[in-house]
Amino acid sequence: MSGRALAGVRVIELSEVWAGPVGGSLLGDLGADVIKVESYPRFSPTRPIDPADWRVAPGEGPAYEHSWAQHQGNRNKRNMAINLRREEGAAAFRRLLRRADVVIDSFSAGTMEKLGFEWEGMHADAPRLIRLSLPGWGLSGPYQGYVSFGGGFDCVTGHTAVRGYPWRGVEETSPITHSDATVPLHLVFAVVTALRERERTGEGMLVDLSQVEELATQIPGVLAEWTLNRRLPARVGNAEQHVVPHGCYRAAGDDRWVVLAAEDDAQWGALARAAGHPEWAEDGHPWATVVGRLRDREAVDAALAEHAAGREPELLADRVHEEGGIAAAVAGPQEMLLSPQLDARGWFPTIDHPYTGPRIQAGFLWRFAPDPPSWDLPCGLVGEYNRELLREHGYDDGEIDRLAADGVIGSSYG
Amino acid sequence: MDQPWSGIRVVEVGDGVAVSCAGKQFADFGADVVKVERVGGGEVRRLPPFADDRPHRDRGGFHLSLNTGKRSLALDTGTPSGREVLGRLAAGAQLALVELPPAGAGKVLEALRGAVEAPSVVVMSPHGLDGPYRDRLENDLSIFAWTTRLHRHRLEGEPPLRYAPHVVAMQVGLTAAAAAAGAVWGHLHDGSRRDAEVSAVEALAGNVDTSFVAWSLSGGAPSVPRRSRGTYPVGTYRCKDGYVQLTAGDSPFFERACRAIGRPDFIEDPRFVTKEVRPAHHEEFLAVFQPWLDARTKGEVFRAMQSERVLCTPILDISEALEDAQSVARGSYVAVHQPDVGTMTLAGPPFRLGGVEGDRWRAGPAPRLGEHGGEILDQLGYSADEQQALFRAGVTG
Repeated sequence: MSGRALAGVRVIELSEVWAGPVGGSLLGDLGADVIKVESYPRFSPTRPIDPADWRVAPGEGPAYEHSWAQHQGNRNKRNMAINLRREEGAAAFRRLLRRADVVIDSFSAGTMEKLGFEWEGMHADAPRLIRLSLPGWGLSGPYQGYVSFGGGFDCVTGHTAVRGYPWRGVEETSPITHSDATVPLHLVFAVVTALRERERTGEGMLVDLSQVEELATQIPGVLAEWTLNRRLPARVGNAEQHVVPHGCYRAAGDDRWVVLAAEDDAQWGALARAAGHPEWAEDGHPWATVVGRLRDREAVDAALAEHAAGREPELLADRVHEEGGIAAAVAGPQEMLLSPQLDARGWFPTIDHPYTGPRIQAGFLWRFAPDPPSWDLPCGLVGEYNRELLREHGYDDGEIDRLAADGVIGSSYG
Repeated sequence: MDQPWSGIRVVEVGDGVAVSCAGKQFADFGADVVKVERVGGGEVRRLPPFADDRPHRDRGGFHLSLNTGKRSLALDTGTPSGREVLGRLAAGAQLALVELPPAGAGKVLEALRGAVEAPSVVVMSPHGLDGPYRDRLENDLSIFAWTTRLHRHRLEGEPPLRYAPHVVAMQVGLTAAAAAAGAVWGHLHDGSRRDAEVSAVEALAGNVDTSFVAWSLSGGAPSVPRRSRGTYPVGTYRCKDGYVQLTAGDSPFFERACRAIGRPDFIEDPRFVTKEVRPAHHEEFLAVFQPWLDARTKGEVFRAMQSERVLCTPILDISEALEDAQSVARGSYVAVHQPDVGTMTLAGPPFRLGGVEGDRWRAGPAPRLGEHGGEILDQLGYSADEQQALFRAGVTG
């Protein structure tokens, strides 16, 4: 929060796992007042109650309060837990909606309606409310209501088909969650775009964000290869069809790797000098030219592989950069934490949390001035702001106590 | 003036995929985006594929996809003359999106920030505008390497593996667009212009699909889920005409999958009744499951699984994705007429205001390099003689 760009914009976030919640946090970073309404008594998949669950990090208290999967993407918001299937819960939620600018849900299409929240009714009750819904497949079409997950969007957009080792089978391609990183970015853009549209028209609106369609915008090269030339792009691994070298090479150390690439002759010259073979880039050498390297791809690769083997990846990358080339040691989390650059920029914050204690977190996605983001609220506890927010919405303490006693709102699971 | 960003002027400076992606978000929703690009045309125009495999700066797939609806001004911002034009262009604009090597960006940023009624400025670079790596050259692969994503995307015994080419730059551009949308909104509402900076490494490392937070909080990096005898059915499976991906190892998905394949008896079967006993009976499950898959197309498997609400998707190549029933029904891909190229299919709106029928998103044709130079310089008040002087000196193209 501490951002003020979206000051005065109130967002209700009704979403689980990553795509929606990360978007909510980014809106919070920009200064929006984000209220996360968690389901109750049903709990989110990123809030496992079993302490042995793979997502649970060490910590005190209930397991669901220190799952890393929940902590990744839930800063800067105030948490409530409401049973929307109970009439009193739905009534409280309706009160929240009347004072909100935006409500975000990431359920499958039809779920909000089953809970009694049809768009027409919501719009009539809160005419300026924007509802942004991000079901996997969108709000219409033959697959509406189908269940979905981040890895699946990758499959149906043509991305899985092009990312993989050329020499391994399709069935060995690892599922990824790339859309969980890109959807939140489009979500932020969609919220501000809808707010602008509301300024123009004076009315709230329904925004249909299909996560499949969002991810489809992220691989324009794959689509262009088909639509321009009717060719399906091959799986090329780390290689680039028109750039040699471009690869990932084994270096010294336990399973350490280094990336080396040269997109033009100057970068190739840098790489050649760093490798102690300046002659590779001199006029007359077969590898000195773009076309020469393209024709001799395997030999160039083999020479670089030989050079990288036995060299410490960070030192090799530093050496290439001194010469003006492109290189990077392949960083796991520990190597990333040791990055001199991220350290110099003070990127990693240490965030305290009642149940995990202080932990090093990943930093913000952007710097912003004059109102930089700050980590005002760590990952919220279940129902942590039930009382504060219900009071803000006109409930008195007696009513709030009754809602808690009746199990309409909650502050623990299991 | 009928789109959400109509009336907003954006100056886009740079030639990369990231800045082009960022500017496209605004252009497709109605902003007047002027793309200021180098006189010879830069990276986004030089990236293959090209129509008919003939390289040409106006016919590249990335250019045609990412510069939709923009106006193009070819301008050498490395000269005082070019920066003077840039300053005039920025005067009264609401947003400047910049992707330039940090070492040379200083004077351009001064020209933008020093303009009369200066815009908010969002700068993209590999490592940010300060720090020991500020001037390092990077590309999609090396930035991926810095962020744990290359490290975790691999099979045992194989090198770390990237995703599709240029997804990194696309994500950086989207990150910049998100920050920029916030900046413009804030600027218009409190009168205070913003400066935002997006380091590509930080934009990726700070987002999800990485392993840092899991490692930092739990001390270990979770493995990427894939086929195993421990938890199944999870991962990619062969069927009659291709492959499907499933995530059904945990309750209630395992039970649903058993119903989908017509074996509800497995739910109570002592071999499969709990997650703990299943690993010992992986082969027995596969002996039933694989023949069921072999008898069905990926579309049939998908529908059968989804009818029981199992997380399942077919693996489609891009030609199949375009023709998939859901894409067709929703118009997920659109045809855009590109002069010199013909009709090209592009990904449609990333979201729809007003629901699926919403019409606030439009992808216009991508401009030829420098196509709008004369018109823009006219608007900025340069006389015919001044425009010829700029052209003769190589400042414009």
